[in-house]
Amino acid sequence: MNKKRRMFIRMIVASLVRRRSRMIVALLAIIVEATILSGLVMIYYDVPRQMSAQFRSYGANIIFTPAGEAAISPDALARSVGAFADAELEGYTPYRYENSKIHNMPVTLAGVTFDTVLKTSPYWLVNGDLPTKDGETLVGAKMAESLGIKQGDTVSAIHSFEITEGMDTSAIPSYEIYTDPETGETYCDHALDLTVTGILETGGSEEDYLYVSLPDLTYLTLEERGYDIVEVSVAAMQDALKNYVETVNGQSTGISAKLVKRVTASESTVLTKLQSLVFIVTAVVLVLTMICVATTMTAVIAERRREIGLRKALGAYNSSIVGEFMSEGLLLGGVGGILGSVLGYAFAQVISMNVFSSSITFRPLLIPVTIAASVLVTGLACLIPIKSAVEVDPALVLKGE
Amino acid sequence: MFFRMVRGTFKRQWKKMLMIALTVALGASIATAMLNVMLDVGDKINEELKTYGSNITVVPQSEAVISSLYDVEGGDAQAEYLPEEKIGELLTIFWANNITDFSPETDVTVTLNGEEVRLVGTWFNHHLEFVKKGTTYQRDTGIINLRSWWDVEQGEWLNEQASQAENAAMVGAALAKRQNISAGDTLTVSAGGKSETLNVVGVYESGDDEDNGIYTTLPAAQRLTGSEGLFKKIEVSAITSPEDELAVKAARNPSLLSGDEYDLWYCTAYVSSICFQIQEAIPEASATAVRQIADSEGKILEKTELLMSLITLLSLLGATLGISNLVTSGVMERSQELALLKAVGAKNGQVTVLVLTEIMLTSIFGAAVGYFMGYAFAQIIGQTVFAASIEMSGMAAFLVAVLIIAVTLVGSIPAIRTLLRLRPSEVLHGGH
Repeated sequence: MNKKRRMFIRMIVASLVRRRSRMIVALLAIIVEATILSGLVMIYYDVPRQMSAQFRSYGANIIFTPAGEAAISPDALARSVGAFADAELEGYTPYRYENSKIHNMPVTLAGVTFDTVLKTSPYWLVNGDLPTKDGETLVGAKMAESLGIKQGDTVSAIHSFEITEGMDTSAIPSYEIYTDPETGETYCDHALDLTVTGILETGGSEEDYLYVSLPDLTYLTLEERGYDIVEVSVAAMQDALKNYVETVNGQSTGISAKLVKRVTASESTVLTKLQSLVFIVTAVVLVLTMICVATTMTAVIAERRREIGLRKALGAYNSSIVGEFMSEGLLLGGVGGILGSVLGYAFAQVISMNVFSSSITFRPLLIPVTIAASVLVTGLACLIPIKSAVEVDPALVLKGE
Repeated sequence: MFFRMVRGTFKRQWKKMLMIALTVALGASIATAMLNVMLDVGDKINEELKTYGSNITVVPQSEAVISSLYDVEGGDAQAEYLPEEKIGELLTIFWANNITDFSPETDVTVTLNGEEVRLVGTWFNHHLEFVKKGTTYQRDTGIINLRSWWDVEQGEWLNEQASQAENAAMVGAALAKRQNISAGDTLTVSAGGKSETLNVVGVYESGDDEDNGIYTTLPAAQRLTGSEGLFKKIEVSAITSPEDELAVKAARNPSLLSGDEYDLWYCTAYVSSICFQIQEAIPEASATAVRQIADSEGKILEKTELLMSLITLLSLLGATLGISNLVTSGVMERSQELALLKAVGAKNGQVTVLVLTEIMLTSIFGAAVGYFMGYAFAQIIGQTVFAASIEMSGMAAFLVAVLIIAVTLVGSIPAIRTLLRLRPSEVLHGGH
């Protein structure tokens, strides 16, 4: 028994070594098939995650607005934002709007955090620079045109309000305070000097505002008021986004979260299309390469009809011939599958780095699947030519017909 | 004699030759399908991205004379308008076929049961006919396609072709809830002393500010603002090419481009060149790209095209290896025959030409079959994913032909040379 097994192994090894050029041909075909299988499937599973990050260039997909009359407090915002998974939260930007006057023209000032604003509005085109410190402003293109200001200019924003009893006026210069002679009420024209660091182009309504830092707005209005709106950009699919919205709304922090339907609905439509594109491409390519492997294996086996005839003439049983040839094929399938899954991972990584500049998620389950698929395809591809070869009369084959 | 030998090979060894042809056909079909899908994927994804809405807005130029000419009584005095008959000019520009949808609109703040509401008059499913220089341009367009993310909660989309559609309206979900409006109701809205009675045909949910507004037909809004035949803005949705250096340069100032650059820029569907052409066609208008849409589209398109081209490369690599493998083994198998030919006095050159001709004929046959298979696969992909056919490009056919010929040569020549180096007697004796 032991001897028989040793002979069996020796025959397989000898056959692989003696016929190495043919075996390399077969092995290459299997490796290519396994590479495509593992590489493309890995990409298929990673496409939604990777593309979803690209779709964040559409900007915020969740909006927080105050649930009641009161603005959103920083504490409530911190609590709501805590509901998001860190890895998925691209960024959030609070906005506070105040009416003001520049050159006696009514304008709207928007207080934002400049270090996060490009995370939630990546499409902003800033000619010049974003403000980096207080006392600087980014001006929307339309507003800049109607005010006639450009980068480097300094403008003075005036906030007018009535001074009521008990209000702390120590920070206001005396020349800004005046009394209406008719009513006797005291008013204040509090001024804030702003240097224009850049002009904002978006092609949308954002061009109608002046953007300043939140502390500047607090200084101008002498009032800390919270936020009117918060834009949140989350890299997640629509269902996950809906869950987040429900979680935030359920916290009852005075924040009402809403999906930006235009962005989320369209994203899921396009992403689904993209993923099914990669899926069907993978399927078509896989089927074709598997047929390729099968034809290669068929060719490799078919050319060994003489050898099969000789063995039969020497008295080998059909079953032992089939067994030996199948083991050879399966061995090739296994080795090709292992090499292919490694190469496939490498290839998926290269694609991912080139296209999305981020690494691909490794899926360990794909390795056994790839190996099993390679072994199965090779096995099936060998079975048919071997079967037909053993059924042939050895005399005819050996005679060379 | 040569042709008889070639014919003989195909007759005697048709099974092996068929196998090679089959592999070549499979490889060629992968290459054909993938190349065609890759070359067309940009347009297809671009059409999908149209669900994000318009990427260009056209408004009157601020210094346009029109505002003073058509100064509107009762409406807001600052309002600027464009004449309705100019809309058709959009269909005459160089990239008119890339404009998928557009819709003019006029908005006005109206009073509805004591509440101030934004009312927008626009096209829903308008049939536009425009005659210029004897050519008639036609297009069905409107906001049904430009607001694909709207959910019509009640009733249905406003149909302009229906009878009495002129006073039909759709109401935003938030407003409908607040004022208890449902489809089938009649509303009276007033602005600047004028009033209109509107029939609510549907309630929509948009997920943004539009939920608080009313959408009605353009004529209704024009009557409310007293601006018959005029509108304030056009939303345009166009299929564009991703921006590159040239587009960025042109966007700053097209007049700074050199002649060649200008031609290339003008004849490429950049969002900036389409905007430029719209302004050429409607001189009193100013067209600007909506960066949120245009910019993101560019990025996503670029990524998708890159992804597809790398996947195509991987599949081409696989197909090439498969073919060259089988061609090599097909040649190697014939060692005895080649040795015999040499033994009876054939020269190396003659043997090479003979074998190459046979292999080439087989490959060309396989490639032709493969091209049509690839065509079918490309259409299957197109229909399943995009429900549209994939355009077959001549370039893909050319590339596949070059690829197959190159692969066949690379696969067979080294094998033939190896065989020719062997000593005929040894091969024929069977020592090999």
